[in-house]
Amino acid sequence: MKQIFLVLKREYTTRVKKKSFLLATILIPLIFPAVIFGIVYLGTNDGDSSKEVYVLDESGYFQDSFSNTGYAYTFLSSSLDEAKEKFQEDDVYGLIHIPEIDLDDASKTRYSDFSFYSKTNPGNQAMKDFEGEIKRKLEAVKLDRSGLDPAVINSLKVSVSLSSFNLSESGEAKESNTDLSSAVGYVFGFLIYMFIFIYGSQIMQSVLDEKTSRIVEVIVSSVRPFQLMMGKVLGVGAVGVTQLLIWIVLMVTLFSVGITALGGSGMEAMSGQMPAGVDMTQNQEMAANIQGMLDTIPVAQIVVSFLFYFLGAYFLYGALYAAIGSAVDSMQDAQQFMLPIMLPIIVGIISLTFVLQDPHSTMAVTLSMIPFTSPIVMMARLPFGVPTWQLLLSMAFLVLGFIGTIWVAGRVYRVGILMYGAKVNWKTIAKWFTMKV
Amino acid sequence: MNILEANHISKSYAEHRALNDVSISIPKQSIFGLLGPNGAGKTTLIRIINQIIMADEGEVLINGEKLNPRHVEIIGYLPEERGLYKKMKVGEQLMYLAQLKGMSKSEAKTKIKKWLDKLSLTEWAGQKVEDLSKGMAQKIQFIATVIHEPQLLILDEPFSGFDPVNANLIKDEILELRDKGATIIFSTHRMESVEQLCEHIAMINKSEKILDGTKKEIKNSFRSDKYKVEYKGDFSGLGAEYELLDTKHLEDGFYEAIIQSKNGHNPNHLLSQLIAKTEVHSFVEVIPSVNDIFISIVEGGNKR
Repeated sequence: MKQIFLVLKREYTTRVKKKSFLLATILIPLIFPAVIFGIVYLGTNDGDSSKEVYVLDESGYFQDSFSNTGYAYTFLSSSLDEAKEKFQEDDVYGLIHIPEIDLDDASKTRYSDFSFYSKTNPGNQAMKDFEGEIKRKLEAVKLDRSGLDPAVINSLKVSVSLSSFNLSESGEAKESNTDLSSAVGYVFGFLIYMFIFIYGSQIMQSVLDEKTSRIVEVIVSSVRPFQLMMGKVLGVGAVGVTQLLIWIVLMVTLFSVGITALGGSGMEAMSGQMPAGVDMTQNQEMAANIQGMLDTIPVAQIVVSFLFYFLGAYFLYGALYAAIGSAVDSMQDAQQFMLPIMLPIIVGIISLTFVLQDPHSTMAVTLSMIPFTSPIVMMARLPFGVPTWQLLLSMAFLVLGFIGTIWVAGRVYRVGILMYGAKVNWKTIAKWFTMKV
Repeated sequence: MNILEANHISKSYAEHRALNDVSISIPKQSIFGLLGPNGAGKTTLIRIINQIIMADEGEVLINGEKLNPRHVEIIGYLPEERGLYKKMKVGEQLMYLAQLKGMSKSEAKTKIKKWLDKLSLTEWAGQKVEDLSKGMAQKIQFIATVIHEPQLLILDEPFSGFDPVNANLIKDEILELRDKGATIIFSTHRMESVEQLCEHIAMINKSEKILDGTKKEIKNSFRSDKYKVEYKGDFSGLGAEYELLDTKHLEDGFYEAIIQSKNGHNPNHLLSQLIAKTEVHSFVEVIPSVNDIFISIVEGGNKR
């Protein structure tokens, strides 16, 4: 045990002391929200640089009726050919051509005759915007001509949204929130995936470094290979947990600082910026709503399970990464063994889409039992509520799973670390596994 | 008293038999040469002693006690494939390796300082190994091997990769350690490199021990009663008791001859005969080198 601890300590301290660790640990919690904010900002403020669009309206219905603020419309009154020429010369985004239409005679009207000219392929959103503009105007005109009262039309429209409830065995109905559950499930599943990937590679790199620097035989004359491997897996894992904890603390701090700032003077400033009709009461309502939504998912269960699956998945895959690192002489050689190991993780990630659609399907339940996919899939299922027996069974399988992979990896590792220049394929690895040492 | 006894060790890998019924005993405070060509099984035997791998058959005793995990603390091992953590600082690295050998932190600290001083490396303690010259890294490697004052020092191809200056320095340090009570095993295929150092020798070829004993005994048993003589003025007619194997004309009337004695007379008998016939400038018994002995055994084995 003392030996494992010494190895663990070295792996931990050499990593934590690195500048790159410090940078990643401090910057990522800052960069991550910044990037998300940036994307949201860019997405919502795209219209700032409003694109110029020419409109050639031969029907006469549309004069000044284009209203989407994302674009600046200029109406032309030339022929189509002249308009095209002008469009070519000027630096504008596009040209909308609305031919003459006869709204009274449906047989003569072909709505597909409307055209949009542009120099590059227009985005989906732009096409939808323009189609929407034209459709709205034509509908309004037709409604007007039909003589129907718009109020009657509006009163005919019905908007439906299903509220979903979890009905427990005791008959107690609890409101559930599918979107939030999906989001939470996806985030946790993805976190585990990232962690396996980043820290698994680090274990492999570490094993490979010891092999290529030829220090490994010096080390194994003092430490059993298994102790060396376990010390490494635990040490790198401890680095990961440290990083995760720092991130959580930083993010919570930033979050609460942000909330306090908003709650104080910021709140008034913000409500001033909000569109008319949204006032303080609504803000509080929103906060209460968020609170209510959080109540619909089993937070405590998710946090505890996350820690469990997080570590379980790490041990399971970390050991395999260590085995690969021991078998090869260089990172390039490692590639061929990486794919089969990454495959179950990738299956887990891809299956998330289907699992989130139906978290209680046979496929979802099966994948959440198999140790290679369970950390990702079970984490995604948890926010939807999972029967306790399933959760416990899955955890038990995961424990058996990582004990199994550590055992297998240990047997390959003890031989692999002393083999140089061997041509390694799956057959040789199988041979090392069965070899008596 | 033997510090190490290996009894009937056998070890096989898949289809290859690496060691076949090999036994050696190594007396305390001796320098023991484990000799043999590449691939003979030396490293396998050493790895078994270091508990890196386990023998299929046979047992190893250290100080009369069956090999167990505590023994790693009294063995210092310099493997043929050796290196250091490139990104780790010299001082931290030695501390880590010393602690793995069971030393306490304070004890290791004193010893590291002592050794760095001795090999004038103190100012490099805070440097990373990758910033050191190759020669300095080799010295650090050696310190890492002996830092815990091992009773048994196992050096696998110790002088390969060491430059001649360091090789000599290391040799001196090794002799000093021996004088302080350590036992040293040299394993090498370059037999001439350790010939003058070793007191005991075991030879391994093709997984089997083919020779074992003190260097003196072995050399004696391989004496062939041949003498090399340098003399001035040609002569002839030594009689039936001697055979002239080879003569060479050197220069200025000097000659060199190899003479085989056929009936076990002592050297004086030959010398007196020679003196009567010519002017003797040098007279020496031809004693085979360890390398010669090895070759003659292997070739003899092939003939069988």
